[in-house]
This record gives sequence, C-alpha cells and structure tokens, in this order.
Amino acid sequence: MVLAIKESIANTFGFVKNEVVGFSRSRMFYYVLAALAIAAVVPLFTSSYVLSEVLTPMVIFTIYASSWNLLASSGQGSLGHAAFLGIGGFASALLVIKLGIPPIIGLFVGSVFSAVIGLLIGLTCVRLKAWFLGMVTFGFSVIAVTIISQFDAVTGGIMGFRTPLIVERGLPFYYLTFVFAVISVFAIHLIMRSKLGLAFRAIHGNELEAKMNGVNTAKYRLIAFVLSTFFAGLAGGLYAQSIQYIQISIFEPYYSFLPLMICVIGGLGTLEGPIIGSVIIVAIDRYLPGIDSALQFLKPLFPNVSFVGPPLRMLFLGLFLIVIVVFAPKGLTAFIRRAYAYFRGKLVTVKEQ
Amino acid sequence: MFTLSGIVETLLWGVANGCIYILLATGLNIIFGVMKLVNFAHGQLLMIGAYVAFVASTALGLNAYLAILVAMGAVAVIGIGLERFTFRKVLGTDKLNEIFVSLGLIYVFENAAILLWGNDSQRIVSPYESLRLSLGEVAIGYDRIFGVLIVIAILIALFLLMKKTKIGLAMRATSQKSDTSMLMGINIEKVYIFTFALGAALAGVAGALYGIIFPFNPYIGALPTIKAFAIIILGGLGSIPGAVVGGLLYGIAENTAVYFLGGIWQDAIAFALLIAVLVLRPTGLFGEKGE
Amino acid sequence: MVNKKVLGLIVVVILVAAVAVAALQMNLFQPAPSAEARPIKIGLVACYNKAEGQDMDRAAKLAVEEINAAGGIYVSEWHTKVPIELVEVNTEDDTPAKAVSPVTQAVTETGVDLLIGGYTSAGTLANQVVAIEHRVPYIITGASSNLVTRRGPQANYGGLPEGDTRRIDDAEGMSYMFHYCTTTGDYSKTVVNFFAEKMKPLLDDEFGFAESRKLRLAILYRDDAFGKGVVSDSKSLIQSNNLPIEVVAERAYPTTATTFQTDLTAVKAAKPDAVYVVDFIANTAEIIKEGQRDVGLNTVYIAVECCEDPQFYTLLGNYGDKQLLESKFAPYAGPPYYLPMITTYVASYQQKYNTLPGMMGADTYDAFYIAKDAIERAGSVDKAKVRDALESTAMDQMLIMTQTGKIQFSTGTNYHEISAVTFIEQLVWNATLGECRSVIVYPETAPVVGTLKQADFVLPEGYQPGST
Repeated sequence: MVLAIKESIANTFGFVKNEVVGFSRSRMFYYVLAALAIAAVVPLFTSSYVLSEVLTPMVIFTIYASSWNLLASSGQGSLGHAAFLGIGGFASALLVIKLGIPPIIGLFVGSVFSAVIGLLIGLTCVRLKAWFLGMVTFGFSVIAVTIISQFDAVTGGIMGFRTPLIVERGLPFYYLTFVFAVISVFAIHLIMRSKLGLAFRAIHGNELEAKMNGVNTAKYRLIAFVLSTFFAGLAGGLYAQSIQYIQISIFEPYYSFLPLMICVIGGLGTLEGPIIGSVIIVAIDRYLPGIDSALQFLKPLFPNVSFVGPPLRMLFLGLFLIVIVVFAPKGLTAFIRRAYAYFRGKLVTVKEQ
Repeated sequence: MFTLSGIVETLLWGVANGCIYILLATGLNIIFGVMKLVNFAHGQLLMIGAYVAFVASTALGLNAYLAILVAMGAVAVIGIGLERFTFRKVLGTDKLNEIFVSLGLIYVFENAAILLWGNDSQRIVSPYESLRLSLGEVAIGYDRIFGVLIVIAILIALFLLMKKTKIGLAMRATSQKSDTSMLMGINIEKVYIFTFALGAALAGVAGALYGIIFPFNPYIGALPTIKAFAIIILGGLGSIPGAVVGGLLYGIAENTAVYFLGGIWQDAIAFALLIAVLVLRPTGLFGEKGE
Repeated sequence: MVNKKVLGLIVVVILVAAVAVAALQMNLFQPAPSAEARPIKIGLVACYNKAEGQDMDRAAKLAVEEINAAGGIYVSEWHTKVPIELVEVNTEDDTPAKAVSPVTQAVTETGVDLLIGGYTSAGTLANQVVAIEHRVPYIITGASSNLVTRRGPQANYGGLPEGDTRRIDDAEGMSYMFHYCTTTGDYSKTVVNFFAEKMKPLLDDEFGFAESRKLRLAILYRDDAFGKGVVSDSKSLIQSNNLPIEVVAERAYPTTATTFQTDLTAVKAAKPDAVYVVDFIANTAEIIKEGQRDVGLNTVYIAVECCEDPQFYTLLGNYGDKQLLESKFAPYAGPPYYLPMITTYVASYQQKYNTLPGMMGADTYDAFYIAKDAIERAGSVDKAKVRDALESTAMDQMLIMTQTGKIQFSTGTNYHEISAVTFIEQLVWNATLGECRSVIVYPETAPVVGTLKQADFVLPEGYQPGST
C-alpha cells in the first residue's frame, strides 16, 4: 500500500517528489518567489484593459481551477462546478445588497454558503464513482440555475445586476485577487502535503486498496468536496466583481468545463498546473480573436458562415486539448519540467503511464 | 386547465421523445458496457447524424427515411475513426482522460458543423410531415409513429445481434471480463471497433430521427448526451432493457413536469429524479451491482 | 428696362454662384485638412454568429460603404471628410460574461469614437456600463428593455430607487446612451390594441359571441428578461386600459428548450382565441409549427418583431400562412413599400447579399446615418460634442417610422428614446415563391406615411375559437 501511494504521488504530484523531475526544494522556493514577483510587478506596466480583462481573470481562474484540481486529486471529477462559482457569486453579492454587510464579509459568507451547499450535495453523492459524480454535479448546476431564475424576485438573476465591489477596479482589485489567489494556492498546497492530502491521493490511486487499509474514503471525499466548493465559491464572488455584473449565465456549462480545460492544459494534479493553464486559457480567449480578420481569407471555403475565425479557433482549441491528453497527459507543466531538466544537463526520464 | 386528452397527449410526447433518448442511451450503454468507456461527445454524433441526413435529403434528394440509413453508415465510420485515433489512446488510463478527450471532441464537432453548415436552424423535410393520425380528441403525427416503429425495429435487431451472432457473443464476453476473453482468443481490438461503430450508428439514427421531428443546429448535442447518461444511470449501467425503460421513464417524467409545472422545470425535475434514484439505489433500477 | 435689370441681376448671381461653387470644389476657401484628421472608428456591438448579428453586420457594412463612397463624414474641425472605420465588437452569445470584455477592449484599446448596436437586454445592460464610464456615445439598436436609458439616478434619467441593483448613479454617463429601438412597452401596446380593436370584433361577428365575452389570450414566453418584460407590459396595458382581453394561459419555458409540444398541449387545454409567442426566430417558428402540426392548436399565433428575418420565413414554410407578426420594418410586405426608402435599401441589400434584410439590421443601418449627421453637426469627434449633437437630432425618418416622422431622441422622463411606429403584419403563403410574404393589416394609417394598411385581417383556415 505504501508503495502504491508513493507511486501515485510520484506520478501525479511531481511537486512533492520534486527531485524526481528536476526541481530541488530550495530552488523551488526561488522559482515561486520569482513568479510571485513577476505577478506583482507586471500589472504596474500594463494598460487598464490588460489589467482588468486579462490579468485579473487569470488570477481568479487560478483559484477556480485550483479548487477543481483539489477535487480531482481525490479522484472525483465535477462537471458542474459552475454551480458553486455561481452560488458563491450570487450569495456574496446579494448578501451585501440585501443585508448591507461589507463586501469583504459578503465574500467570505458567500464562500462558506457555497461550501455548505457543497456539503449537502456531497453527502448524497460522494460514494459515487468519478463520472457518476460528474453527472450529479452537472445535474445540480441545472437545478441551481432553475431555482435562481424561479426566485428572480429575490435573486434578480434573470436580468442580472451590478455587483458591489470590495475595492476599486484596476490595480487595487487586481492585488486583492492576487492576495486571495496566493493564500488559496498556498492553503491547497498545505492541504495536499498534510495527512488529508495523503488520504486524497491514496483514494485517487486506488480506492479499494485505500479502503482496505482502513481509510474512511467517503469521509475524505466529502472533505475534499467541501474544501473544493469553498474555493470555487470564493472564485465566484471575485469573478462576479471582476466583470462587475452577475447573471444566471454564470451557471452555463462553459464555466463548468473551464476548470477541466485549464487543469488538463496546465497539468492535472499539480500545484502550478492551474496557474499555467489559466494564463494560457485566458490569453487564448482574449488574444486569439485578434487573428479572426486574418483568417477571413478562408471564407470562400465555408460559404455558410460569415465569420470563419471564431469556429475555426474553437475547433483548433478542441484539437489542441485532444492532442495534449493523448500525447502529453501530464499537461504542459510536465513539458516545462522536462525542458528544465534538459537544460540543466541532467535529463531525467519521467516514468509515464 | 388540465384535461384528460392533454394528459394522454403529454404521455405520447414523452414516449416519442423517449425513443430518441433510448437510441442514444443504448449506444452509450453498449460502449460503456463493453469498453468501460465514457464518451461525453456522444450527443455530437447525434448532431452530425442529423446534418448527414439533412445533406442526403437536400443535396441528394433522398427520402427523409432513406436518409436515415446514410446517416447511420456515415456516423458509424466517424465512430471507427474516433475509436482508432482518440479513445484507444487513453483507454485504460485515468477515467478523467476520457472526459477530457470527449470535451475536446465536443469543441471539434460543434465547430466543424458550424463551419460546414452555419449556425442557423435546419430541418429535414419529411414527405409525411402534415399527416396526423387522429384518435378522437388526441392526434399524433405520422413521423412520430414511424420514429417509434423504427426504434422498436432497431431494438429487436440489436437483441438478435447480441444473442445470435458471433460478434454479439464476443461483445458480451468482453463486457464481462476483457482479460479472460482475450485469453479465449477474442480479438479485443476488433470487438472494440465494432462496439464503437455500433454505438455511433445508433446515435446517427437518433440524429436523423431528431432532424425529422425537430429543428436542429450545431449545439443540439450537449443536452441529450447528459440526459442519455442520466438514463443509463437510471436504468442501470450496461443494461439494454434498463436503457429502454429508463429512456421511456425519462421522456415521460420530463414531459409530465412540463405539463403540470411548466417548461422551466423540465431539466431540473429530470435531474432531481436522477439524483433521487442515485441516492436511493446507487446502481440504478436495473443494475445488478456497481461498476 | 426692369426686365433687363432683373436679367442682369440673375446673370450676376449665377456667375457669382458658379465661381463660388468652383472655388468650393477646388477648396479655395477652405484651409488644408487638419493633420489630426483620421478615420472615425465606430464599433458595432453584435453577436456575429447569430442570424440577427449577421443582419446587423451586413446592414452596417452597407451603410459604411455608402457613406465612405460619398467621401465619408465631414468634420469641420478637421476641414475635411474622413471615412468610417468599422470596428467589429463580437459579444459572442451576448451573456454578460461575454458581452463586456470586447466592449471594454473596443473602448479602451481600439479607442472607438462611438458605439452602435447591442442585442439582448441583459448583455446590453452589462456592456453599456463600459460606455457610460468612459463617456462614449452609444446608439443602442437592440435591447428591448427601456432600462438601457432609464436606469439613472434622476427623474429625467428614469430614476430607479436607491438600492436597486440595476441603478447607475452616474447621471452624466447615462446621458451618452441613446436608444434607437422599440421597447417591450411599444410592441405590447400594438399587440393588445390589435386584439381589442380588430380581432375581438371580428370574432364576435364571425361566431356570434356576446359583446361581454373577452378575447382569450394565451402567452407563451421564454424565461428571460425579454420574455418577462413583454408579459408584464402586456398585462399591465390590458389592465390599465381596461381592454376586453383575458389572459387564459401564461407559460414560460427555459431558454434552452428546443421542443414545445407539451407546453402547447397545456395551452390548448386553456382554449385560447389567440397565442402570443414571445421568443426569437428559431423557437417562435418551431412553436407555430408544432402548435398546428403536432398539437392541433388551430388558432392565431402572433410573433414578436425580432422574428422579422429571412430565417423566420424559411423555417415557417407554409405553417406561417395567415399567422401574425408584430413589426416595425417590413421587407416582406412589398414591393411596393410604405416608405420609398425601404425600396432602395431592400434593393441594395439584396444585390449585395442575395437575401432580404431583417429587422435588426434596419435599426443599425439608420444608426450609422444618425451618427454621421451628429458628427457633422458637432463638427468634431469630441465625445461630449457628439452627444450634444445626438440629443438635438432632427432628421427625417429613415427605415423605421416614428410618430412624428422625424428621428428625435426624447428628453425628460423618457430620456433619449425614440417613439417608433409598430404595426401588425399577416403572413400569406406564396406557392410560387415557396415561402410566405406579408401584408400589413393594422393600423390603418401612420403619421406622415398616410395609409399603412395593405389588406384586411382574416382568420386562418380551420381556425377554432376558444370556449364560448
């Protein structure tokens, strides 16, 4: 059993057994510092558009994808995480508007509310297999959007409304989300290194074996679910503020699939995967439309569409995803690690499965 | 407000919609049963099936019902390609990888359909579109009756295929124990290709029927997939009778909810039902034991 | 003598005029164009992958080509004409999450001088905030909710109560919003008046109903801001004007619905005289078809004006015969058309795109000329000056009829709105074309245009009234 756990750690959590893939712990520390410094300084030199529409979403989606990643590392795949993003967003904004509490308190209470709902859903379904759970969570996101629009008089969800801000948009809001992201990612890092994380990974590696060795799998899966929905709710509260507007479209499958895409592209089950994935996905989302006009020369090939750019881009995004899963199942992070190891002149073969 | 004929009609709509779900769910269930593969892009095969039938009936001038055969063949071929070039690569690795590949496929299929046929809604014109069979106060269109008959015929054929043919036997053997069946000389790869093609072909037929009854666009695949999954969970994994009963139940539950509570509850009630079944009987109505 | 003097005077006048014209032509009186002169950037906010967005895009390109072919927009501050540069602002599915970012980019990165467009109310209410904050004039040609110009803090900006989540406290910013579109109130009014004035007397006559019998109306609507807006406006109009209409069924369905037979079965059980379908193109066409084909609900269906699009006619096929469409622009009701300008527009649109235009594009087309007019009167691209000029717009009506025959944005309680004329069309199956065409059946006349009605409203074949 110990061996199995060690193996699963080595396979999915390169950052714990980092020597295997070429990072030493003290080096890791400097890289983290450097990354933090870049993330803290770059916004000072960008335009307000880049700051609020590119960098801020990158940071918020890092929290959101990390929450999904945490759940996935306990072997549970949610296909309806948008439900918790939306619940967190609506709860934190409505609490402030209806009860007049300060937005920062609203954000916390909203996240806790999301976690409470997560607990209730989790109680009914953590015993289910990974993709059963996926179905239930997806179903729950449909139910959540129906309830929010049915109680439109209270929630205002159909037309949507402006969200109250904790701090002014722009630099202050960016740094606020940045601080939250650092705290969240660090908290998740600590969780994953604790006994709790060990149990999660044991369940992910081989549930039956974990069970036989006396791990109360249902309990740990429920804990993972609640923690994950808390962070998803936090991301939702921040996201609603970052676009300054919340409406039921936040429950759309797009937002449920987003953390999957981010984690797969960045590297599933790693700490930095969600960060790298968010940077890539948001950058693609914001900057790739720029090539649309250049793609328009292909129009004669497709007489039924007036703009070939958007569908063509999305098609290639889909192919990109498949190629990554098929040929680089550990995401781009693994590539970066290997490239790093290569340049260090000590190419280490990573055991791939 | 609610009349008896209204309730009877609602049940009829439930059965007719349920038939499309049955085809989709049966295909998914066969693939899952034999290959233990989760394909969330199955509904996109339905969507492609509708477009293939649409092209066959408009460009080639085929009768709408003959176009179903074209859709069936074409989507089966696409299915073979999918199995060979994507799913085979991730089969047996982490279950999440299958979900990721499906997600990529959803993007690929939807956007390819947009590029080829545009965003606008299309319809397949059936020669029997305006004909209705009148049963007193209730009347039902011929196209829906044909749809139900086609589904029954396909299910019978499927039953015979599974029970009476060699490949059917091989599929059943593989679904029970793939390692052992390999030892017994069954070519697993062949069985997998056939299984996936069969599942895809069923989705192609479902798509063509969908296109005859409803208007369609490149985005119609997503919700039926999720519903089909709900149905196979409801009916029991790997169980074909379960998919049939589950599909009918689901179609009826959905339409009854619309009739009595209003259309906005359609999806929510159906999923609430699913969650309730999962909590009370985690293996589904017909499932013998969990995966 | 007198004649000679007059003649001489005329000759002198002609000579002077000729010289002046020649001088003008040769730019003798004009200073050289300013070095600051540059193309005017106008952003078109639309969901480019929907039929309505395509229509808006086509109409915008047509208007821009026409204006640029005539030299562009004259900006007196720059002493020259400059072309329009069309900036595509794609809001994808127009949900608030997708609708804001591209507008932010257009405003803060591309630096558009003016925005035109907007599609759904929710999307526009979200993205107009960017324009409000950055003081960019925004001629909103979509969004049927009147809130887009009435969410300000003061009485004359609508004035939502304090604490309302939709309220904008920035009154100055709100003054940059202009709504060149009909609102849910406008079309509800035309629809309920048509039922009360035209259809009820016809039913009483045809089926011998008592005067006291109210017209039984069923409303089937999409569960969003747009659907709810139409329903609540229609109901309050019926109530406040005490119209002889009874709403016998009111059913909402989710925006994701694709099939409606069960909802229609329930509507049929309520025995309505007419069904008001509040949705966009594809769903409305499907409801009208399923109602007749599958449910056997042989009644009068009335669709909302956003269905005025070629796709609607294609999807309906002969199920559209004798059904109704409330509209403000009728490319299918001619030629000849009630406004000569529509003839020209339809012809050039058809020539360029090989299809008839839709309704969303018509507002957009007009809006580019409104923008041109305002910038030329402002003599500048300064946003505050353009806003002032837009406020004092007084052009002749173009593709959309207004109550005064002039394009004027109201001030006061209805801030920066137009008062459009809406009407009811009846679709008529045309076997030769294999598609429906339409005739205007209500109202009889419109200001300036005169006679508007083209034919009498008739009940569809096999029409069955609701219970007696």
